[in-house]
Amino acid sequence: MSEAATKGSNGELLEARDISVHFEGLAALDGLSVSLDRTEIFGLIGPNGSGKTTLVNVLTGFQKATAGRVTLSGRDITDWPPYRIGRAGLSRTFQAVRLFRDLSVLENLEIAGVGHGLSRRAAEKRAVDILEWMNFEHKAYDLADTLPYGDERRVGIGRALASAPQFVLLDEPAAGLTDAECDDIMQLIARIPADFGCGVLLIEHNMRVIMGVCGRIHVIESGQSVAEGPPGDIQSNPDVIRAYLGSKPQDA
Amino acid sequence: MQAMGPIEKQLRRFWPFASLALILLIIVVVVDASGSILMQRTVADGLIKLIVVVGIYIFMGNSGVLSFGSIVYMMIGAYATAWMTLLPNLKRFTLPGLPGFLIEAQLDPFVSLILAALLAAAVAFVLALAIMRTNPIAISIATFAAMAMGYTIYNNWERVTLGTSSIIGLPMYVDMWVVFYWALVVMAIAYIYQISRFGLALRASREDEVAARAFGVNVYIQRVIAFTLSGFVVGIGGVLHGHFLGILTVNAFWIQLTFITLAMLVVGGQNSLAGAVVGVIVITAATEIFRQMEKGAEIGSTLIQLPLGVQEVILGVLMLAIMIFRPAGIMGGREIPWPFGPPKPIRGGRSRTLETGAGKARTGD
Repeated sequence: MSEAATKGSNGELLEARDISVHFEGLAALDGLSVSLDRTEIFGLIGPNGSGKTTLVNVLTGFQKATAGRVTLSGRDITDWPPYRIGRAGLSRTFQAVRLFRDLSVLENLEIAGVGHGLSRRAAEKRAVDILEWMNFEHKAYDLADTLPYGDERRVGIGRALASAPQFVLLDEPAAGLTDAECDDIMQLIARIPADFGCGVLLIEHNMRVIMGVCGRIHVIESGQSVAEGPPGDIQSNPDVIRAYLGSKPQDA
Repeated sequence: MQAMGPIEKQLRRFWPFASLALILLIIVVVVDASGSILMQRTVADGLIKLIVVVGIYIFMGNSGVLSFGSIVYMMIGAYATAWMTLLPNLKRFTLPGLPGFLIEAQLDPFVSLILAALLAAAVAFVLALAIMRTNPIAISIATFAAMAMGYTIYNNWERVTLGTSSIIGLPMYVDMWVVFYWALVVMAIAYIYQISRFGLALRASREDEVAARAFGVNVYIQRVIAFTLSGFVVGIGGVLHGHFLGILTVNAFWIQLTFITLAMLVVGGQNSLAGAVVGVIVITAATEIFRQMEKGAEIGSTLIQLPLGVQEVILGVLMLAIMIFRPAGIMGGREIPWPFGPPKPIRGGRSRTLETGAGKARTGD
């Protein structure tokens, strides 16, 4: 177990141990371990195809792991179906956002609460609170289908928080956003652990976002762990640079 | 926290139901005042279809999964009420295969309606348990397969259903007003379901099944709930059908009725209750108008008479046109909007204080 696993504020951890996923002999993930607690923003980076989204899918039950265990606050959730993991306190966004397009923004958030077992009224109240938290209440009754791209991504994050999760997994929340929109998203993400008591696993290609909000960063390549540490260390780590540039410095 | 008063909020909430109820009330009152028995029977028949279509909508509209086999629950309801309300002497000779307690039974029409609809719901429930785990297309085919099964059984189960012959003698207590009251009840059931957390969860799965599952929605269970409720409501339609005509034939519950009810739902727009209701009204009215024109109608001094069969053709063209130019149906998946403007935005200004924040989240599961 890594040293990070023991430094959690209250022992409530999201932990993946020795996760492997093989697709017909091809290893998408190969013995990967990560662990985060509810007070931190944990970055997960790696080149395209390195297995980041596969890991998110394993954690949320959408992809069965060939080997390894996932535990949420001490409970083994490895073989649970997605809806059960969602109810147990692990929430996510999708790379493709996947809003409920023909429903209103408010309803999009309500569903997360309802799915978590709240009454419709309680779910609505929580949804309104979160919209106010995001300063997005003026668009509560707009159809998700009519939102501009940047707003879609924000609603996706709001929806992930509306189920009162212990951990939220953000899968490239800043993809395709303008710099200004990135700043907004970064501010939003940075406030999540303190305001919700919710740990964040952040997958992102945008280094400005990753370096700006993450306390710890884990780098993977070809499904294997390359490095883990605070942003400063990661930026100067030669293995990381090699993983990203893919060639020896003298060849460049 | 809303910028509108609690009364206005409730009015707004139930407006989609109330507005449809109002439209139906106007139609029924006008037709009643016209004194035309024929018109009243046409409207009663249309309202029975409305109950069936709303029943189909409860599952199909909220889940987005096509159900080709809903008419079987209408048949189950209709025959069940016949078993419970026909004269015992009649049943002894015509339906000797019925168990003794059913032969002796002669229940109050209301009790019979509820029991018959519950039987339809029970059958729908058992089927749903078996088929709702598969994918939407497989579910659609399975509902049809189940209907074909039920149809064949009832067609050959002579000692209980009279097979291909007709059962006659059902008490004919159903008129336009009776159907109207039940239509209100059924629309209320559908609307309350659709705004409940169950309806919302199922609509989420309609929009994006993967995301719905990620947010704790057990899509299987939600589909089972909706399909069962749908069977109950369609069963009510079958009961009323039986007591409206007084006569039952298995043949009536087959492709033609399946097609016309699905066409009504799709033309109106399958994603909203208003779509279901408007679809029934439009198709019923169009069918009636063309039927009159086939009989010949004098407009001014010219007699307009369409050749026989043109009615079906025009109706088909009309449906095609709606599907091509308005694929989401006449109502486009929307309910009838509140006439006094869109909802006011939620009042802001409380940012940063969050009741659902850390403390509450920690006590969560």
